[in-house]
Amino acid sequence: MGKAPSKQPAATGKARSNAFLYVLIAAAVSFAIIPTIVVLSVALLPTAVAFLVERGKGWYCGVTVGSLNLAGAAPYLTDLWLTNHTVDGAIAIITNIWAYLVIYGAAGFGWAIYSTMPAVVGAFITMTAGRRIAVLREQQRELVQKWGPDVESVYEPEKKDKANPSSIAMA
Amino acid sequence: MAEVAQDVREAPARPGAVPASAEAAPPPAPPPPPKTNGNGAGAQAPRMPSAAAGSFIVVRDRYTIYCDRPIPALDMPNAQAFEVTDRKQEGRPLYALICKPEMLPRVSVMRVLKGLEIPHILHMVDWGVAEWPPIERKCVIVIYHRPMGGKLMDSLAGTAKRIPDHMFPKMVIKPLVEALTELGLKGITHRAIRPDNLYYMDEARTNIVLGDCVTSVPACDQPVVLEPIESGMCIPTARGSGTFADDMYALGATLLILAIGRNTLQGVPDAEIIRRKIKDGSYSTLVSDERMPVSLIECFRGLLTDDEEQRWKPANIDLWLAGKRLTPVQARAEAQAQRAFKFADQEFHSIRSLSYAMFVNWDKALNVIADGSLEIWIRRGLELNDLADAVASAIKNSRAMPGQQKDQEDITLCRVLMVLDPRSPVRIRDFRVSLEGFGNSLAVAMMSKQKLQPYTDFINRELWRHWVAAQTKYNADHSQWENVFKDLRNYLRDQNSGAGLERCVYELNEWMPCLSPLIADQYVMEVKGVLPALEAVSKTANTKMWPVDRHIAAFLRARYAKGVSAQIDAMNDPRPDRATIGMLSVLAIVQWRLGPEALFGLASWVGGLMGPVINAYHSRPKRKEIERELPKLIRKGNLAEIYNYLDNPEERQRDAEGFAWAKAEYAAAEKQAFDLEHGQVDRQESAIKSGQQSGAIAAVVIMLLTYTGFLVSKLF
Repeated sequence: MGKAPSKQPAATGKARSNAFLYVLIAAAVSFAIIPTIVVLSVALLPTAVAFLVERGKGWYCGVTVGSLNLAGAAPYLTDLWLTNHTVDGAIAIITNIWAYLVIYGAAGFGWAIYSTMPAVVGAFITMTAGRRIAVLREQQRELVQKWGPDVESVYEPEKKDKANPSSIAMA
Repeated sequence: MAEVAQDVREAPARPGAVPASAEAAPPPAPPPPPKTNGNGAGAQAPRMPSAAAGSFIVVRDRYTIYCDRPIPALDMPNAQAFEVTDRKQEGRPLYALICKPEMLPRVSVMRVLKGLEIPHILHMVDWGVAEWPPIERKCVIVIYHRPMGGKLMDSLAGTAKRIPDHMFPKMVIKPLVEALTELGLKGITHRAIRPDNLYYMDEARTNIVLGDCVTSVPACDQPVVLEPIESGMCIPTARGSGTFADDMYALGATLLILAIGRNTLQGVPDAEIIRRKIKDGSYSTLVSDERMPVSLIECFRGLLTDDEEQRWKPANIDLWLAGKRLTPVQARAEAQAQRAFKFADQEFHSIRSLSYAMFVNWDKALNVIADGSLEIWIRRGLELNDLADAVASAIKNSRAMPGQQKDQEDITLCRVLMVLDPRSPVRIRDFRVSLEGFGNSLAVAMMSKQKLQPYTDFINRELWRHWVAAQTKYNADHSQWENVFKDLRNYLRDQNSGAGLERCVYELNEWMPCLSPLIADQYVMEVKGVLPALEAVSKTANTKMWPVDRHIAAFLRARYAKGVSAQIDAMNDPRPDRATIGMLSVLAIVQWRLGPEALFGLASWVGGLMGPVINAYHSRPKRKEIERELPKLIRKGNLAEIYNYLDNPEERQRDAEGFAWAKAEYAAAEKQAFDLEHGQVDRQESAIKSGQQSGAIAAVVIMLLTYTGFLVSKLF
């Protein structure tokens, strides 16, 4: 019992030294990519809004908007990275009205995808389910033709569903 | 019998036809018959119209029986006599007795007597079953040597020409006793010894013979006067084969009537005859006021002794004929009460007389049982405490039995009568049967469509058991009968085909013809005759009915239990398909084992009934296949092949497995469809989630492609 307290400060100290190392590396990297950070901090505002709006409902909205937001920033960022990776270059981009149009337009397209895809997928699922039901009914009809009406059975999933008129109609 | 059924054949009547051998026939007779069909099966021959005047049939290709030449003088109570000619021995005097279809002939006796020439017994030349045109059905026909001297006495109501006393023993008694002794050696009782069934074989009227004894059940045609007391109490059909002593009694009574020249009891009611026999003894009753030849008295007394054990046997007759004087028979005295018992306006001092009076006055007897006066009289008047206890016990036990009060009272009285007079038959109101005669009586009742309730009551209420229990003397036969009736009771309790009263009648009567309405006219006595008979009726029968009805099932089970029991059990299955295949299997196994090889009509009939069997297959394609194949098998006429095809276990297994798989498949599809149709909310949620996921993935992919594209284009 006497030895345990002496170990804890040593572990805490090691963790602190690791965190310090990470912060140091991050600061060095940030310093190195300051122009990129400047551009992204302005360009990714729609993404931040998307994460905030959909907070607690999953990450899909943020990912969708963010991805297309980044895609919209791609021409400017690649240009920045490969030709003039300086703060001046970054300021030139964030002061370019066309850059805003492209970057935010792409983010808007992401919003549009996020909003419309469930409806599209829903319509698709409904369409395939109807077709599947038709196939199943055809299979059942063939079974009845081959084996007679004795082969028929009624599916009753739960007790509460017994009162469901649609399940009776199916029988 | 099988060979008889095959050998007997008939010739269709052809009034206008002139056969080749016409000159061989006697002048007044119709021409000899044309050749019959070669297969020897009478069942295949066409039926002749009832108004076939001048028609005749030929049996065994030898005996021509003329339907239009009756011989009333030789008629038996249950058989009509007709002229017969023998094609092989022209001029041989023969006649045929055609048994009434509602009477059961003694076929087992016919089988023994056929062809045997027993001295002083009418010679049975042949017998068989053949189509009898006047009634358009098959009958048992018995061919006898024709007695040329006529009967000794035309009827019991008439008179007989008296035979001189000194000639009587040699001319009448000796030959008849010899005849009975011969029959006794063969284990046969005649049971039809009566004055009007004795014939002179020769025209000179010197040779006396005993007449027919096979055209009805034993002793059925005997008047009460000629029967021992116990046998006389029975209804005529229920007397049973009896014993040799019964024949000796009938011989004694017959001889006495012949010696006197008339029946002294003519016109006296049967009940009165029995009452007098019980009261005064048989000899005194029959002699009445007539004067008997002194030389014959001893013999008649010996033969008419009511105690069966003391009755004369052939050895006694031989000694008497040899002139040896025998010890006179002393009737055993019955216990007499000093105080008379008043019943039905009469006074009784002995038990047996009272017992018979109670039977005759049935309703009044119920009162003396109810008020206990009978028991008191037996105890105090006769001082027979054991008997009184037995009566009291019978009354107490009967009343403890469940049932309606009236039935209970009848059974009580019946049991009391058994205790009072154990030798008498079972008597319950008008129903009076001996255990031995029960089977014959049931058969005749069934054949002549009489009420059968008393017979079922007899078995179900165990009257047989009470009768055996009431016997004071041990008899091994009684135990045997008990076992037989236990079996009958079990059959009766079983309501299925192959059991019931039908089974009882076939079990009790070895040569009972099958009484199924379908084949009753074919007079089928053997299992192998059933299918040909059904084949014969297949064209006219209602083919919606099963060819195996209750009678045929019971007949087959009684005659061929080892062969068809399992099949008949299957026939009783509550599932229609199994029952139908069971019915087919019954017929198929009989055909397979006993033939014939092809039964086209019956196969067609049975094939039309296979609907439930075909429908038992779930697979529709299989059903169609069977419907295509079945007619081909029917055309072969082999029921076993049809059965094997329809009841193929592998096919059935395959069908069952396929059906189970199909049911599971249907249920799975149903569940899936249900889920799809009823999963709207889930589907929306799923669609939203899937849409968002796919949108995110698409966006990431676009981003990656965009960066890749720009980086590549700028670097290279």
